Amino acid sequence: MAGSSIKETRFRNSLAFKVIFWAVFLSLGIISLTESALYAKISDGIRNVKVDSAIAESQSAVFNAQYRLILSQEPTEKTIQQIIDDVVVNSSTIIGSSVNGREVVLLRSGGNPTGSKNYQRTSNLVDPSSIPGSLRQAVRKSKKPESAEITISYLSGNKIPGLAVGQNIVIPKAGNYEMYLVFSLVNQNETLNLVKNSLALAGFILVLLIGLVMWLVVRKAVRPVQEAARVAERFTAGDLTQRMEVTSKDEIARLGNAFNEMALSLERQISKLESLSSVQQRFVSDVSHELRTPLTTLRMASEVIHAARNSFDPVIARSTELLVAQLDRFERLLEDLLEVSRFDADVAVLELVEFDLVTLVERCILDLSLLASENHVVVELSHQQDIVMVKADIRRVERILRNLLSNGIEHSQSPLIRINIAQSSSAAAVGIRDYGIGLDADDAFRVFDRFWRGDPSRARVRGGTGLGLSIALEDARLHNGELEAWGRLGAGSHFVLTLPKNSGEIIESRLIRLQPEDYLSTPMYGQ
Amino acid sequence: MTLVMVVDDDQDLAEMLGIVLTGAGIDVDLVSRGDEVMEIFRNNPPDLVLLDVMLPGLDGIEVCKLIRAESMVPIVMLSAKGDTHDVVKGLEAGADDYMIKPFKHPSELIARIRTRLRRANSGLSGQLTVADLAIDLVAHQVTRGGKTIPLTRLEFDLLVALAKEPGRVFTRDALLSEVWGYHHSMDTRLVNVHVQRLRAKVEHDPEHPELVVTVRGVGYKAGASSGS
Repeated sequence: MAGSSIKETRFRNSLAFKVIFWAVFLSLGIISLTESALYAKISDGIRNVKVDSAIAESQSAVFNAQYRLILSQEPTEKTIQQIIDDVVVNSSTIIGSSVNGREVVLLRSGGNPTGSKNYQRTSNLVDPSSIPGSLRQAVRKSKKPESAEITISYLSGNKIPGLAVGQNIVIPKAGNYEMYLVFSLVNQNETLNLVKNSLALAGFILVLLIGLVMWLVVRKAVRPVQEAARVAERFTAGDLTQRMEVTSKDEIARLGNAFNEMALSLERQISKLESLSSVQQRFVSDVSHELRTPLTTLRMASEVIHAARNSFDPVIARSTELLVAQLDRFERLLEDLLEVSRFDADVAVLELVEFDLVTLVERCILDLSLLASENHVVVELSHQQDIVMVKADIRRVERILRNLLSNGIEHSQSPLIRINIAQSSSAAAVGIRDYGIGLDADDAFRVFDRFWRGDPSRARVRGGTGLGLSIALEDARLHNGELEAWGRLGAGSHFVLTLPKNSGEIIESRLIRLQPEDYLSTPMYGQ
Repeated sequence: MTLVMVVDDDQDLAEMLGIVLTGAGIDVDLVSRGDEVMEIFRNNPPDLVLLDVMLPGLDGIEVCKLIRAESMVPIVMLSAKGDTHDVVKGLEAGADDYMIKPFKHPSELIARIRTRLRRANSGLSGQLTVADLAIDLVAHQVTRGGKTIPLTRLEFDLLVALAKEPGRVFTRDALLSEVWGYHHSMDTRLVNVHVQRLRAKVEHDPEHPELVVTVRGVGYKAGASSGS
């Protein structure tokens, strides 16, 4: 079903299909109209010829019969019967044996003298009721021959189409009779059928030919349009070098030229923007690098001073500590800035190695255990599997984990952080849950923004660069993975990192639900 | 006294490095231009060269190649660029180790310098063999069929680390801690580049290594030592 509907859509959306469809549809209408008019004309013509000759034949037959009846001397019933038999037999030929076969029907008109003999008779066992009442009425009233199309029924049961022509005839001593000559229309009908079939066939072929011609013409006309569409699609997909080939001087060529001009100007604009932004990125990167050398000197100098702080008075000693701490922070900021500029410049590359995610998480916890105990935070780790092998850039994954964990330890004000590791055949996930001050549900989307601060009115927490989470997100995305945050004020937050086991593959599902399972969404606290 | 040549065009940093190194009991020779290095190097050969990548006159990578062409002295590159590309280029030019500015602590720099200056495996003595290679632990020499193969101190240490325990598979992290003295670095590029360089010198066919064998997904091991 789905496949056929796609096909239908494609057909419906195809210009060629539309044009051909309408051309065929309209020509079908025109041809059928023309043909039915033609057919009507032809059948009228054939019928008229037949009727005219039938009337002439009938007139002469009736005249002949009447003449013989009038001229007969001393008409007795016997001689009259003889003449009538003779007339009927002579005037009729067996239908079917000759092309112009005809039958004779002699009927009593009514109002005949009483006691007179009934001369009513038909040739070849034609049923007298073949002559319809309406025709008989018309004949009785008329002086001229009257005709009508009838169905000739034989007493044997045969029925064939026919034409009846009737005229009044007077039989001596027996009064008024009607004499009908009945002509077979089998031949005429066959001819008309042949004409009809020929016309239908001709019409069908004509429609087919029109469809074919239209298809050829449309294809020729549409191909450049299709080509243009293809080029435009590729251009849209990012290949800015795509141009249309212009070979003619028609409307298509104008379209092509217009497209090419547009493409050229777009390409120029984009490359201008690209070079601008690469200058910008280059600048950020250069600044970061240039800052490194003086920072190195600063650090070394501060370390030398710091090493001697015990001999300083308390104010200078504290100042030294602050100096060292701020240099640390400055350096981290610089690192993060440089990393961000790498992401922006699209030059961040993955260095893939295979490693055990559980071990890495354990190492991060161990590395941050001092920080955790300073902040009175307990970190719990749970994992279903002992080993969760992934192929990823271990440096980046470690950076993401450290970032999430140190964020939780330092900023969540939670006494407990739970880390959960899960895996499927194609992906692995780490969930980091805290039970601290939490996040606004809206903020959960913004925590990854650069330089985002939880609450502008709250004092800045010491040390952070404000770039950590945004770098973490970029790191995750670089692996084709995902990093998501959930939070509720007062109910803590939950960060879930999902990575494909082989970097770059698609992650199909979330192994750890973003809304933590230990969070009961009650209306009171929810939203 | 140990002499370290510090090549850096930033006067302040060079001076600061001088202060820190002198404080650690190391003599320092300060050079500020890349094209002046070789002359001073030949006149007064140092025990170690601390070399900045970006230098006026001649860039650090070229200087590194020139020094390597005539000496096996340990070279530690100083780089403001942490990008893979530059690091690998420096290592391929012959540097033993590199440090990215700014260093976490001056003590880290001193520790690195001491690791490179230390005679690794000095407790060991005697001979080791890996296939047809003979490793003389006392003379610090590697020979094949009586012909000496010149190795830098680091390459020698790397080979000895592997040859000491034939058959043991060393992870890159293990080698980093064994040979470079790092206990917490994730930079396994150091190992990869040096293994390549070592192979280029000791293997018959570096494309199909038989002495330093890669164990896929784990690390490296010395191959075929017992076989010969």
